[in-house]
Amino acid sequence: MTDALLEVKNVSIQFGGLKALSDFSLDVRKGDLKGLIGPNGAGKTTAFNALTGVYPPSEGTVRVNGVQVNRKARSSLRPHQINRLGLARTFQNIRLFKELTVLDNVRVAIIARTAPLFSRERTTAMKVKGGASLFAGNFLETANNYLDWWRAFLRTPGFLKEEREVTARADALLSVMGLAHRREELARNLPYGEQRRLEIARALGTEPKVLLLDEPAAGMNPREKSDLMVLIRELKDKFGLGILLIEHDMKLVMGICEQITVLDHGETIATGTPAEVRADPKVIEAYLGEAPTPGAAA
Amino acid sequence: MYGLLQHLINGLAAGTIYALVALGYTMVYGVLKLINFAHGDVMMVGVYVGYATAFMLGREHFGSFGAVLVIFLVSMLACAAFGLIIERFAYRPLREKPRLTSLITAIGISFALSYGFQMDLAITLGGKSYTILPGAASRAFPEIIVPTQWLELGSDDSSVIIWNWQVISFVIAAVLMVGLQFLVFKTKFGRAMRAVSFDHRVAALLGIPVDRVIAGTFMLGSALAACAGLLYAIKDTSVQPLMGMYIGLKAFVAAVIGGIGNVPGAVVGALALGLCEEFVVGYTSSSWRDAVAFGFLILVLLARPEGLFGRVQAEKV
Amino acid sequence: MIRGIAPVLIAAALCVALQLGLGPYQFFAYLAALVGVNVILAVSLNIINGMTGQFSIGHAGFMAVGAYLAGIVSIATKQDHLTFLPEAISDQVFLVGSLCAGGTGAALCGLIVGLPSLRLRGDYLAIVTLGFGEIIRVIVQNTQALGGALGLSGVPQRAGFGMVWFWVFVVVLVARRLAASPHGRSLWAIREDEIAAEAMGVDTTSYKVRAFVLSSFFAGVAGGLFAHFVPIVNPGSFTFVKSMEIVVMIVAGGLGSTTGAFTAAVFLTLLPEGMRSLFTTLGGGDPSLAQKVDQIRMPIYGVLLVIIMLTRPKGIFGTHEAWDVITRWRRKAKPA
Repeated sequence: MTDALLEVKNVSIQFGGLKALSDFSLDVRKGDLKGLIGPNGAGKTTAFNALTGVYPPSEGTVRVNGVQVNRKARSSLRPHQINRLGLARTFQNIRLFKELTVLDNVRVAIIARTAPLFSRERTTAMKVKGGASLFAGNFLETANNYLDWWRAFLRTPGFLKEEREVTARADALLSVMGLAHRREELARNLPYGEQRRLEIARALGTEPKVLLLDEPAAGMNPREKSDLMVLIRELKDKFGLGILLIEHDMKLVMGICEQITVLDHGETIATGTPAEVRADPKVIEAYLGEAPTPGAAA
Repeated sequence: MYGLLQHLINGLAAGTIYALVALGYTMVYGVLKLINFAHGDVMMVGVYVGYATAFMLGREHFGSFGAVLVIFLVSMLACAAFGLIIERFAYRPLREKPRLTSLITAIGISFALSYGFQMDLAITLGGKSYTILPGAASRAFPEIIVPTQWLELGSDDSSVIIWNWQVISFVIAAVLMVGLQFLVFKTKFGRAMRAVSFDHRVAALLGIPVDRVIAGTFMLGSALAACAGLLYAIKDTSVQPLMGMYIGLKAFVAAVIGGIGNVPGAVVGALALGLCEEFVVGYTSSSWRDAVAFGFLILVLLARPEGLFGRVQAEKV
Repeated sequence: MIRGIAPVLIAAALCVALQLGLGPYQFFAYLAALVGVNVILAVSLNIINGMTGQFSIGHAGFMAVGAYLAGIVSIATKQDHLTFLPEAISDQVFLVGSLCAGGTGAALCGLIVGLPSLRLRGDYLAIVTLGFGEIIRVIVQNTQALGGALGLSGVPQRAGFGMVWFWVFVVVLVARRLAASPHGRSLWAIREDEIAAEAMGVDTTSYKVRAFVLSSFFAGVAGGLFAHFVPIVNPGSFTFVKSMEIVVMIVAGGLGSTTGAFTAAVFLTLLPEGMRSLFTTLGGGDPSLAQKVDQIRMPIYGVLLVIIMLTRPKGIFGTHEAWDVITRWRRKAKPA
């Protein structure tokens, strides 16, 4: 039917009397680079939160990699499960693990590929089947987890090999993001621009298929921003991702996004290519008072 | 039947006392998002102040309305002042720090007070000996209200007795709670309190003197607690330094059950707890008293993590 | 794997030697055992409070479970011994069995308490753990089979300080290896920013529960050891006061630092004992001055907590470890 990695249909989020997001729909496929813009408070970060499971949507469906992640009330998938399905994000206000080193920040995100005793794929598959299989799957996964701790305490050869693999992958990501020289530095000691890059590196550690970037260029100077633009495109090609990004910098958004969705007060007021969106009267009206002609002045 | 009624009355009496203390917890949590572990111990200090005041007035005044009024007022003022000092020097400097830091500080103050008052310390000035720290032993609380039976239902064997001090307790508690409701919802200060409890930074931007509102809230909560402590001492006819911790803990449980930060919830939670405790102790044995409060709490939190009337606090992501 | 287990074997041998050599010095042995138990409690509490950032203040409850369970198992098997081993060694084997039983029981309680409450917000967890500790105490005090308020007597006094310090070594090793593993890093991530950790694929609830269970296991072992060198297991040893003593230790040492927990536990256990002895001799053998000093201990702990929070909330060691110094030397020695 579709090969969309992220499929959002008619999602709404209601906080008490306030509808923060209404009827939001979006698709992200492999190789896509889409933008989500809108005035402050338009609901952009709320949308990200809905997709990643922080706030389950009150209406609509979200499918990641074909799996529907939001269900009735309490049984919606939790953010870490949605992440393991292939959706990763960065945060508007940087949420790094401040007291951990740069390397450790990325290592937290990486799960070793070598399976402990019962392969993670098999246990996940068992759980999806439901019923007695779900119970067995849960039991095996819990056994797995406790065994994992034992392997760490005993420092088995398998465990040490895994550590080496995880560290190598983390180092590779740091190189790609230009942070290798900061490896042992505490995350809180990094300059702002590097912290933003570290957040991206960390998100990439989870091996996502879709990457949600929340204002990745906020606070950067023009040189850093253009470098970031290039880097984002490279990451997309190198890792075969679909990317959705929120940004306020029109030059950046119009410059790299193929399709842009505009939100205002939770509603989608326009969707289309940068040229279409730029010319849309509703968009101009929504931004009245802010930079009216995006891209031209800069 | 009469046994049930008696338990009901006793439970409600205990509950109203817990409610007065619980209100202090819930109000402070509302404006500061801090569990003031030291609340119960400040109450304890107030009770001892009342004790000292009673003796200074002299035994001949016990039972008079004036003496009772003076004792209550002095105690409440002392507690209010004490609460103010603690807020100013221990909590205010830590307001912007992680919540755990303030929590640990509160626990420290609670410990210092409840164990400090268990020490014996007396100084002699000009021939007379003044007790500064009362020591661990429990002391009989002076009978400032002479206990008389107010109402007796039924015959001698199976009767329900309502004591005068229970009635006084109910009345004082009711008046204070109604007064508090009025304050919180109908006055400017109350509006300021509620604004600060929603977002203290925005409240500051709107011109609300946040520091003063918080200080005022502390003073109010402490004064209410002092009142509750005195009522409890009158009921129990004794005081001891750990009473603050015990009552405080139970009142805190009540506040959490009702949904911490929620004023009516604290009252409901406290009444429910008082009744529950009374019935469990009445029908099993008093040695299980302490476990009731926590057992009740755990059950409520399992079913409804925000408490009975609590709001689910969403963190901004 | 040899490298993994070797340290434990070496430590075991060392502890046996120390026990045989210094065992006869009774006062020293008792003190050492007491210090050891507190270290185990502090280091284990540090796993959940420090590394994972979850505020649990009912640790004494788990210690009580371990103490009573291990005590009962030992009493029940007092007359049994393995015939192919000399009696002393057989006793120690049974002791280890009791300790594991106590630890497992405490771990199970940790699971029961942790599963529902680790979903709650931070301050709520504190209350629930406090409540659990109190409930345990009340249950134990009301159960005649466990000796009621007077305590459990008759537990064979088999735990020498050597055994205690062997377990100290184990818990420190476990804490260290945990910190250096992906699981430890995930726990730290949860402490730093739970929402971000969750977004990066860490199952925060499961991790918190597991840390809690691990921490409770060792609290139970500590309790079990305690039961085997004090004449009576008194419920008064496991009150909220005990829980708070441990909290003071890890806060003073630095939340998250195993070294800090270790150091603070040693210091804060020896200090009151030392002061008690000092003031008893100063008072010419009269214990009343020493008792007064003892009374001041608790309020001073309270004031100490407040002062630490106002001046140096990170504690003495912050989040650093003694072995970090070695790693930093090695890194400097390596050519860039």
